[in-house]
Amino acid sequence: MTDADEGTDSGREAGEEQVRARLERHALPVLAAGTVALLLGIFYYPVATVFVDSVVVEGRATLSVFVGILTDPFYVGDLAGLAAGESPLSVLGDLLSPDRRLGVVGFTAYQAALSSVASVVLGLPAAYLLARYEFPGRRTLRSLTILPFVLPSIMVAVGFVATFGQNGTLNAVLGTLGLGEVDLLFTLEAVIIAHAFYNAPLVARVTTAAWESVDASAVETARSLGASPRRAFLDVVAPQLYPSVLMGAALTFVFTFGTFPIVLALGGFQLATVEVFVYQLIRDFEYAEAAALAIVELVVSLGLLYAYLRYEARHSVRSRGIRPLPRRPLRPPSRSLGDLLPRAGLAVYGVVALAVFVAPIASMVYASVSGPDGLTLAHYEFLVRRQATAAAFQVTPWDAVRNSLLFGVGSLLLALPMGVVVAVLTTREYRGRKLVDAVGMAPLAVSSIVVGIGLLRGLVFGVEIGGTRLAIGGALAIVAAHAVSGYPFVVRTVAPGLEGMDQSLVESARALGAPRARVISDVELPLVWPAVVAGAAFAFAISVGEFSATVVLATGTDQFTMPVAIERFIGRRLGPATAMGVVLLVVTAGSFVVIDRLGGADGGF
Amino acid sequence: MASETPAVALDGVTRRYGDTTALRDVSLSVREGEFFTLVGPSGCGKTTTLRLLAGFETPTAGTVRFGGESVAGVPPEDRDVGVVFQNYALFPHMSVGENVAYGLRFTDPPGGVARDERVSTLLELVDLGGAEHRDPDTLSGGQQQRVAMARALAPGPDLLLLDEPMSALDAKLRERLRVQVREIQQELGITTVYVTHDQEEALAVSDRVAVVRDGTVEQVGTPREIYRRPATRFVASFVGDNNVLSGPVTDVGSESDGPVATVDVSGESLAVGLDGRRDASVGDRLTFCLRPERLSLSGGETTLSATVTSTEFLGETTRAHLDWGGGTLRLRTTDPPDGDVVVGFDPADAHVVAVER
Repeated sequence: MTDADEGTDSGREAGEEQVRARLERHALPVLAAGTVALLLGIFYYPVATVFVDSVVVEGRATLSVFVGILTDPFYVGDLAGLAAGESPLSVLGDLLSPDRRLGVVGFTAYQAALSSVASVVLGLPAAYLLARYEFPGRRTLRSLTILPFVLPSIMVAVGFVATFGQNGTLNAVLGTLGLGEVDLLFTLEAVIIAHAFYNAPLVARVTTAAWESVDASAVETARSLGASPRRAFLDVVAPQLYPSVLMGAALTFVFTFGTFPIVLALGGFQLATVEVFVYQLIRDFEYAEAAALAIVELVVSLGLLYAYLRYEARHSVRSRGIRPLPRRPLRPPSRSLGDLLPRAGLAVYGVVALAVFVAPIASMVYASVSGPDGLTLAHYEFLVRRQATAAAFQVTPWDAVRNSLLFGVGSLLLALPMGVVVAVLTTREYRGRKLVDAVGMAPLAVSSIVVGIGLLRGLVFGVEIGGTRLAIGGALAIVAAHAVSGYPFVVRTVAPGLEGMDQSLVESARALGAPRARVISDVELPLVWPAVVAGAAFAFAISVGEFSATVVLATGTDQFTMPVAIERFIGRRLGPATAMGVVLLVVTAGSFVVIDRLGGADGGF
Repeated sequence: MASETPAVALDGVTRRYGDTTALRDVSLSVREGEFFTLVGPSGCGKTTTLRLLAGFETPTAGTVRFGGESVAGVPPEDRDVGVVFQNYALFPHMSVGENVAYGLRFTDPPGGVARDERVSTLLELVDLGGAEHRDPDTLSGGQQQRVAMARALAPGPDLLLLDEPMSALDAKLRERLRVQVREIQQELGITTVYVTHDQEEALAVSDRVAVVRDGTVEQVGTPREIYRRPATRFVASFVGDNNVLSGPVTDVGSESDGPVATVDVSGESLAVGLDGRRDASVGDRLTFCLRPERLSLSGGETTLSATVTSTEFLGETTRAHLDWGGGTLRLRTTDPPDGDVVVGFDPADAHVVAVER
């Protein structure tokens, strides 16, 4: 090699070094711009095309579709009287009378309110147990409270049918006890209990966290100042729990206001909620009305979220528990009433919790292996047979499993970087951060059905850009829809860790010469790695369980997933539905285990 | 020496956060190789000053200069500063060696040595040779502090910034470590800005000290100057133990060692050496301070009768609280006094801190 060669070589090295340094300096803006572009493409543009349908009829802008919905007693019940010129008082009278009409929107809010109450009632004893008692398996139980949240809703619906249906386990138990049969299926009660199954653990989780951050010395101070244990609880502990309880209730309301698979499977059309009607309207190609109804739904959800966030902002003075309240043993230390009563209460709660949380899953597993003549593998054999002999219009089980896994991996690969970038962007101080936060979190509030239909009409059917037609495949659209549902959960798991990051660690790294992007990759992400892994598990599990957008995008194609397959089976053949449900359960639980292992020893929860 | 460009300079720097002003028109300069300490009560703006130097904050007004050049717009990673925080901020997911080596990812070790060699040199410098593979969590507070020091020094910074690096340690360890910090600073000859609220620490380690209060610098000087000749009432009472007295001047005379004012404090006429403050005249209100160790039980030019109200045994000395009719006085002595006593001092023992017309 000549001297000249060496010169150019080192010159190129220096050049590469420069490019690298420049990339590191601009990595954050570049990643941010990429994420925004992606969000625009797979969320904002498709959703906008749907919403435009609601205000543009035959090429003219109009609000007539909204006016139609807001004055139709079918949707808004007695409130329609307001539009018809009735006085507010007489409308209120109508609403309070026994033969009131709530309309679809009113009923949706009503069931969501009942679900919130049920979730709080079922969640608080669990929080009390988890925060105040020590017993073997407490940590595991606390971790398990995250599980219902990621269980596929359609699978839970199958579990509820297997438990509360005509031939369900509840009736079997009542029968052996010599009691009469009940049929809870297609009743409001079944829907509410299923919602509580989902959301009570959420209430328990946030309340337990708040309870554990109550400083014992605050309670001890109150006691030494003369407060009885009850007063100390009411004056010191309870006020620190209210915000969390309210948060749990508010989130439950928002989630259940947009409920879809549970009601579709357990409620039927006589209990249909807004989301079910949106779905129905889309199937009838009534896009304008569907979009307008979805916007009404969105406004209600966002309004409530906004009110809650305002409340949270005013009450966010959280005392950091330096010394948490001591946990009591679950085994009563004495036979005094004070020791026995709360534990007896918890025992009663335990029975109820078993019925609500464990029975549906257990019943599903049991139903999948039982037939008229005892235990059987017939339902699984049916799935295998169906795979071999399915007609063109029927779903094939193996393809459903394969699709679910493929879409799960695909949306994980999309949602994880998106979620991490948004988490990084929303935990930095700069002008416009609130806007970024809102833009990043909006997908959480928009109905998945609307996302699905937007992707279908906006991207799968194609966009005309400069004479060329751009279209993406149905599979890609499903992955996009799943990523949109999943990434907010990555943000929510990763952001708190970044937010709580000791700033002196970041500043130390910078003082040592690290550019901003390198601080993120060298220091911040490694420190929140367990949260990143948890976020990945979320993203995967949510994709595998996603139903609403998938059913819109997969209808009439061979892109169906396990939840779609279950929905096809559930009406006609409960057995195969439960068998498919068990497969889905195994895949979901397995994904958690796998990702947990990949994430290293301290990964996951 | 006097004409050389300061290593670090603040020029009319103001820092506001909304309505509150953390620093108000501060000008300071630190010489090359100097150990410069910012001392003051919490919230006085000393940490803000340090953060402005590190580049974590930007001045609302004014200029920060390194070696005469403005560093406005230069991000922290390009300033060649080493920072040690109060909580050490060791990266918990890295070993001790990885922590120390972190800054060497972005720059080559000074002197062209290998990275590993630089890391072990630095760890030896802080008496932690061979600790490369240890987990920061397994170290004691003092050891963590020294690792943080080694990490900050590894890339060979031009400026070392220490933000209360001892305040989380117990008193004995603090005293030992501050000697070590000073020795390392001397050995490397690195310009150092040290922030502390502990005035004793500031006096013990620094070449020069700036006393900061409410966002302004009250006085800059060597520890000796700060202690002997406090420029303001605040410095007089913040640095060391002090008796601060004031009253109208009734006479100005001259003695062998300079002009002396007679000050009427609560009816007693006290002779106060005017030292540098030749501008005091009859009728002015004069504030002066008297160190407790300068008060003597064996007389002096001015004497006062007083009663001992309480004593504190401090080991080597005893501090007595005296009531003399014009308020209380503190006195330090080796033998504990009791009952009624006569205390005295010479005019030169008093130091004038303020003259008001």
